[in-house]
Amino acid sequence: MNNCRFAIVLILLTFVLLGIIIISLGMGAVFIPPDRVLAALINPAEAGTISTDVTIVRELRLPRSILAATIGAGLAIAGAAFQGLFRNPLADPFVVGASSGASLGATLAIIMGLNWHFAGFGSVPLAAFIGALLAVFTVYSIAEIGGATPAISLLLAGAALSTLLSALVSLLMLTSHDTLHEVFSWTMGGLSGRSWPHLLSSGPYMVIGLIALWLMARPLDALASGDETAQSLGLPIRKARGVIVAAASLATAAAVAAGGVIGFVGLIAPHLARMMFGAQHHRVLPASMIIGAMLLLLADDLARTVVAPLELPVGIVTSLLGGTFFLYLLKSRGQSLRG
Amino acid sequence: MKTLTAKNLTCAYEDGNVLEYLCLEAHPGEVLALIGPNGVGKSTLLRAMSRLLRPRHGSVQLADVDLWNQSPRRVARQLAMAPQVSETHWAITVKDMIALGRAPHRGWLLPLSRKDHRVIENVIAQTGLSDLQDRPVNELSGGEQRRAILARVLAQEPEVMLLDEPTSHLDLKYQAEIMGLVKNLAHKDGLTVIASLHDLNLAALYADRMALLSGKRLAKVGSPREVLQPECLSEVYGLPVVVTQHPLYSIPMVTPTLQT
Repeated sequence: MNNCRFAIVLILLTFVLLGIIIISLGMGAVFIPPDRVLAALINPAEAGTISTDVTIVRELRLPRSILAATIGAGLAIAGAAFQGLFRNPLADPFVVGASSGASLGATLAIIMGLNWHFAGFGSVPLAAFIGALLAVFTVYSIAEIGGATPAISLLLAGAALSTLLSALVSLLMLTSHDTLHEVFSWTMGGLSGRSWPHLLSSGPYMVIGLIALWLMARPLDALASGDETAQSLGLPIRKARGVIVAAASLATAAAVAAGGVIGFVGLIAPHLARMMFGAQHHRVLPASMIIGAMLLLLADDLARTVVAPLELPVGIVTSLLGGTFFLYLLKSRGQSLRG
Repeated sequence: MKTLTAKNLTCAYEDGNVLEYLCLEAHPGEVLALIGPNGVGKSTLLRAMSRLLRPRHGSVQLADVDLWNQSPRRVARQLAMAPQVSETHWAITVKDMIALGRAPHRGWLLPLSRKDHRVIENVIAQTGLSDLQDRPVNELSGGEQRRAILARVLAQEPEVMLLDEPTSHLDLKYQAEIMGLVKNLAHKDGLTVIASLHDLNLAALYADRMALLSGKRLAKVGSPREVLQPECLSEVYGLPVVVTQHPLYSIPMVTPTLQT
């Protein structure tokens, strides 16, 4: 696929994403057809536009949809980066421990009542970032054998650390009655009740993570070809790895701080992106973002509608669907993953 | 074109020295074959001479400048290394893989320039990969993968080329193709080439000089005729061998004796 065709397909995907956003904005307790959603978005003050539509679409649903798209995009690009870096198709923010590390960091911040903002940077995402970084470095240093991270040892180390950290989160929740509800609803991976403040406190971190990962697309290509190869091409590999881990952890932490632990989006989106566009990271990364945003929007639509008027946490929906996909991946590509 | 020199090179991993006080010089326009038994440190020597492994003592100099006094990128613009184990299991296309070889020249952030594209096209033609350039590397045969790796190395436009087992797992025809191409690059374009080879006869056929590695040092360095001596080879490889002459050319040929 040449660059021109890639650009066209990417633009088409972006339009599909916009379409999904518009449909999502119409879904919920009150269904609003797409034409009225568009009217509420574009001409809120015009006479023909219904004022309740404007309130529902712009104030209630828009922040949530944008947040869902942002979180999906962040988890997906982090997953794509981890998969390339670890040369492992099973790596995703959850598997490598970033999600649970971020979750522990954020939980600690919530319980300790840290809630400040400085120049748009919030404290909860920052704590999540520190947690994610520590977790990834721990998993990586345990799973690394002679310069490689075999799938099995990565999965084992990641699963063990994730379980450990999740237990710590549960323990913290039990010992802190005041904030129990807040932490609990957050760790389930829910988007209900999320609004502009969540988006604003995570947004700056997310933007830095995304831009840094985009810049690392070519180093990721080299690293995916093997450390010796990357090194012989003049890449300072330790530095490059550090930047990639930090940027992917930052994107993960921003996503987790905004929406809790949402599994499998970061695993599936990069796979779909590679199936469509091949393995080169300057294509996989942006494509993963768009696909991840779509997946999480669709999952959130499901979460809002299957048991209406109640809502499921979106994390349950992604885990149900994503878990199935993950098992399918293990079964169908088991041979190549065992190395 | 540049000379690559190892001076008093001592390399070690955790469990002890692999190479000790080793000196070797590779000149522009020659193919230097590195031979020796399994596990003797051929790969280690190539890694040390390509700035992948920091030597414990001694130095490696590219045109009289220590490799470790230069940035990895600066070294990569002059010296290219094809590792023995290259991870070719991911689905990057041949052309995209070759394009990675341009990274030392254009940096990691900029898109390919017109010159980069021209170099890539040339290299693809040179290595006969035109029909395969859009195929994923992981779907190629072993011989095609080795050619693709060589093409990536050539895309670096190196003056010095280090090849670790460039012909392993290849049949006779591919061996000859790769070595013929390498020899041409050395003789016509003046590249400095060091290649580790297992097949002594292939080495004798294509190399200008040979270096026999044994017991942490070089046992012998010189023309194939000087290095391929039966007594010395028998001792180093632990197997009696007979050295005869190639039926067509005046180069030595090594034949093992039957062991029961």
